[in-house]
Amino acid sequence: MNLQHIAEQALAALRQEGADASQATVNTSALTELNITHSEPSLLRSTQNHKLSLVGIWDGRKASTELSDLSPQSLTAAARALRGDAAAAPQDTAHAVSSGQQTAITRGPMEADLGALTDAAHDILDFRVKATPTMNIEEGAVSHIRSETQMLTSGGSHLQSTLGWYGVSVFGTARGPGPDGQMRTSSFNYTGGETEDLRAAPASGRFGISNMMQELTRSVATQGVAECFGGKFVGDVVLTPMAVATLLGWLQGQVGDMALISGSSMYRERVGEMVASPLLSLASRFDAPGVAAMSADGFVAPPLQLLQAGRLQALTPTLYGSRKTGLAHVPTASNGWELAAGATPLADIVRGVPRGAVVGRLSMGNPAANGDFSGIIKNSFAIDGGAVGTALSETMINGNVAQMLRDVVAVSTERIDTGGWCMPWVRVSGLHFS
Amino acid sequence: MPQTGTTATAATDYLETRRHELRKMRMLMIDGNLTTNLRSLEGGVSARAHHGGYWGFSSVPGAGGPEQVAQVVHQARSNAQAMGRFGARSTLALPGDSYVGEHRFSGKTELTPAECNERLQALHSFCKQRYPDVRSTRFLLADEHHSKWLTTSRGGQSLSSIQRALCYVTLMSNNADDGSPIELSHPISWKGSAADGDLSPEHLAPQIDLLYQHLQAKRHAVPARGGMQTVVLAPALAGMLAHEAMGHPCEGDIVLGGAVTAGLLGQRVASELVSMVDIAHTWKGQEVMMPVYVDDEGSPARDAVLIDKGVLSGFMHSRETAERLGQAPTGSARAYAPGDEPLVRMRNTVILPGTSSLDTMVAGVDDGYLLVKTGNGQADSTTEFMFSVTLAYEIKGGKLGSAIRDTTVSGSAIKVLQSVDAVSDDMHWDAAGYCGKKQPMVVSMGGPALRARAHLGGQ
Repeated sequence: MNLQHIAEQALAALRQEGADASQATVNTSALTELNITHSEPSLLRSTQNHKLSLVGIWDGRKASTELSDLSPQSLTAAARALRGDAAAAPQDTAHAVSSGQQTAITRGPMEADLGALTDAAHDILDFRVKATPTMNIEEGAVSHIRSETQMLTSGGSHLQSTLGWYGVSVFGTARGPGPDGQMRTSSFNYTGGETEDLRAAPASGRFGISNMMQELTRSVATQGVAECFGGKFVGDVVLTPMAVATLLGWLQGQVGDMALISGSSMYRERVGEMVASPLLSLASRFDAPGVAAMSADGFVAPPLQLLQAGRLQALTPTLYGSRKTGLAHVPTASNGWELAAGATPLADIVRGVPRGAVVGRLSMGNPAANGDFSGIIKNSFAIDGGAVGTALSETMINGNVAQMLRDVVAVSTERIDTGGWCMPWVRVSGLHFS
Repeated sequence: MPQTGTTATAATDYLETRRHELRKMRMLMIDGNLTTNLRSLEGGVSARAHHGGYWGFSSVPGAGGPEQVAQVVHQARSNAQAMGRFGARSTLALPGDSYVGEHRFSGKTELTPAECNERLQALHSFCKQRYPDVRSTRFLLADEHHSKWLTTSRGGQSLSSIQRALCYVTLMSNNADDGSPIELSHPISWKGSAADGDLSPEHLAPQIDLLYQHLQAKRHAVPARGGMQTVVLAPALAGMLAHEAMGHPCEGDIVLGGAVTAGLLGQRVASELVSMVDIAHTWKGQEVMMPVYVDDEGSPARDAVLIDKGVLSGFMHSRETAERLGQAPTGSARAYAPGDEPLVRMRNTVILPGTSSLDTMVAGVDDGYLLVKTGNGQADSTTEFMFSVTLAYEIKGGKLGSAIRDTTVSGSAIKVLQSVDAVSDDMHWDAAGYCGKKQPMVVSMGGPALRARAHLGGQ
């Protein structure tokens, strides 16, 4: 299947329908995935996917469509339908497509190595039996993906990528007797990541998998805030890399289109200002496994420093968001971020906490527009006098995400690299525990 | 319907093929700007084979002609056989009947994009004129239509159809103290496409007026007091509680994974005022919002009574989880997209109404909170749950007081449900969200108002 030819045909069909500007993105992907269920290998899947995404603009009116039928007849019909969809839309001079953007990216393993997938699954299952037998892998997956994309615009942009990568993920719980002898179940936890070289290291040793599985086995017996700390208090959290990624996801939303266009962004006027602790520097890694350095609206995405020592370096509106708000356009790829390592070993960070918790992940709703949130801390352990103690349950923290970014007081030297993100542990002070 | 290749052979103990079409529409209007105007159509055919105790799955995009069916069947069988590299396993019997029948959704003629846009513009203009102090408005209109043609080696042959539409209305203002943004959303959902709902400003005015009043109250919101509180959950939240608190821990695969519920069948897990059911397709003679007559394994769908007057009574099952737990299938195995395999999913999960009134329940609280709106929620294998609370009010001396800032309610589902001391005679249904698991899924949830003790996040 010649994807570039299909994209060219799609643009031609839109031109035929009189589009002033258009974009055609064709993607095919093939997945080979070996699944583990209830700690046993269970399913092997082979799936293929095709998707054609079309954007058409007529007299400032825009519509888009996605379809899986790539036949010439389907393209013709889709272009005609799109013209009708756009005719119904209001005029908006901010609608546009990219011009003159060129890139061609080919990276990663293009064929699935079933032997490597099998070995990776064996490694995870063997690790469980030997090191964490009380842990049940409710769902595990080792996979290979090959994804090919051709993106053309009527402005002469041509961006193409052919990527291959492997993924590993583990999700589960642990079970064991509590202090009263009754069988108990831990909270679930999960982790995983992507890599271009599945054989470079044992699967269980990557992406924090072995650590996660071991911590689960220590999480069967738990205590709440009342039992552990005597009641509500204000304390510190040491956020694990996964929890840090959640926090930074909020920041990324604040500098994106929806928040900027609606005016709810807290950071619209704050480029160049200190918005976070000087210990935080957040940069892109748009060459992560499975990530192509191009934006969905047809731009090459150069490396981006979002936070430099706590100072906000950029907002990231798309082309539409930029034209709508008058803010500078900053293209970003679909994923790929890293927070710079700090100067403090994790052990020292924990030792410095008089009262608080190591937080595995945050279970919470979307923070409010002003950053207020409350959520349950999951897969977490109490810290009392600098020592990690019992696993916690039914413990909430309450705070403000924007304030938390400012209240980071330590960043670890160690980081977990999942491919899509690479994050350290981070200590934040002043959270309300209840 | 997929025609060929659905005979079990010596090489395959069980085989199902599915042609699946998923149509979606999504339009997002921010302050009168149509920032998203998208229609999508995804179609494909898949096969899932069971052999020697292992599963093989394959899917390709397309209309599902004989060649494509043969291709995915061959690949699925090969994959199941390839799993034999992990050693011999017992074959599953995969019990249960097989459904033959068709269910199509018959709604109004779908709205054209122009008609959708007109409705959104009308709502925007209505809000701009009626609430001049509102800083920003957002309207999300979306619908999706799933059609699945299924054939199984057990003789199952079915067409099933699910269609749901939603409109989220969001108003944004400024906090009265510090000017920071404050927003509040109201979800509206219905069975069918966008055409099957009434989106006229005249019809929605009472709901949007109420949303505006709540937003004004939230501008002056005070922090919640963190800790264990007496809470009255408005009917819109009971469904979220049912779904997150006990729904997920009652899914057969979660039970097999070691959830606390595994050892509690027949035991009291809630107040005797609480009964909870995952409804298949009909309630009180009316078809529910997500009617499932047959699941994606060809099993006839039946109601799953999860809690009966406080006693844990059953789970939701696929053929495999039913067999492993020695129970009957409930027709709860569904796949979201053409390239997905069926998983145990909730359908229409409700707490059944009681006999109290919401007003009486509030009046009976000396110091607590009325929780009115939620955003999202999450469950855990321990039955600990959480969901966000985006609108709530203090209750003092039986009367409503100030609104409180966004918070979270959580707790052990069993402890919270055991503490329920009043259940209202209301019933509210909602189908505006997605249930997340390994795949998303359209579900509905519902219930009356409940009064209970739960943990609220706060200072």
